[in-house]
Amino acid sequence: MDAVFRALADPTRREILDTLFAADGQTVTQLAERFGEMTRFGVMKHLAVLEEADLVIPVRQGRTKLLYLNPVPIEQVANRWISKYAARFTSSLVALDQHITGTEEA
Amino acid sequence: MVGTAHVYQIYIAATPEEVWRAITDSDWTRKYFHHTSFVEPPVAGAAYRTVTADGRDAVEGTIEEMTPPTPGRPGRFVQTWHVLYDAALAAEPPGHVEWTIEGVGEGLTRVRLVHGDLAYSPLTWAHVKDGWVWIIDALKTLLETGRPLPSPDS
Repeated sequence: MDAVFRALADPTRREILDTLFAADGQTVTQLAERFGEMTRFGVMKHLAVLEEADLVIPVRQGRTKLLYLNPVPIEQVANRWISKYAARFTSSLVALDQHITGTEEA
Repeated sequence: MVGTAHVYQIYIAATPEEVWRAITDSDWTRKYFHHTSFVEPPVAGAAYRTVTADGRDAVEGTIEEMTPPTPGRPGRFVQTWHVLYDAALAAEPPGHVEWTIEGVGEGLTRVRLVHGDLAYSPLTWAHVKDGWVWIIDALKTLLETGRPLPSPDS
């Protein structure tokens, strides 16, 4: 799970995931074209971190390698970390909102 | 944008043989796969059909490959996948579901699932996208804890 958080900590890597979410199953070349300001080598370094975290799965198709977003680790993070605290966050946000609203009305 | 495939991967603290049994044996599929089971035990090259607990058709297709895992070689369970549980999805062409079951350490198995050939099945593509995440979660929970994952709606 550390690998997932490390992978998600970088904005470029999150952008790569967003790109695959919008269009899954791209080649490294297709992906690199979208990150024109970055070298192919730079994109591949980010992909290695994402693959290490299992967030991106390379699938061989003949001679090419297609990159797919694997949603399972994010689901596991959500189950393990987010849902545990989310209820508390939501209730304190509601309390904060009521507090602010109350102050404004006063 | 609609793609042609969904890919999922997860690590399960179980042997490849245990995972294999869970995906091919109805006594196990009932416990995590929306209570569905194979009408007949799946056989390589043969047609298959799965049904819900109350006997309604769920999925049908052909078992294209059924290679159990052995030490040093991943298991492969490949089926064509024609959804029957929904009329709109049933009208779309069948896709491919490929399970790859690979031991990667003592009592640790990497499970990869590819649901492909969905380019002309946009409704199925959208419908199964999150559905598989739940199935894989339920499979892992069952094998690691011995208990089924409670259904979200129950």
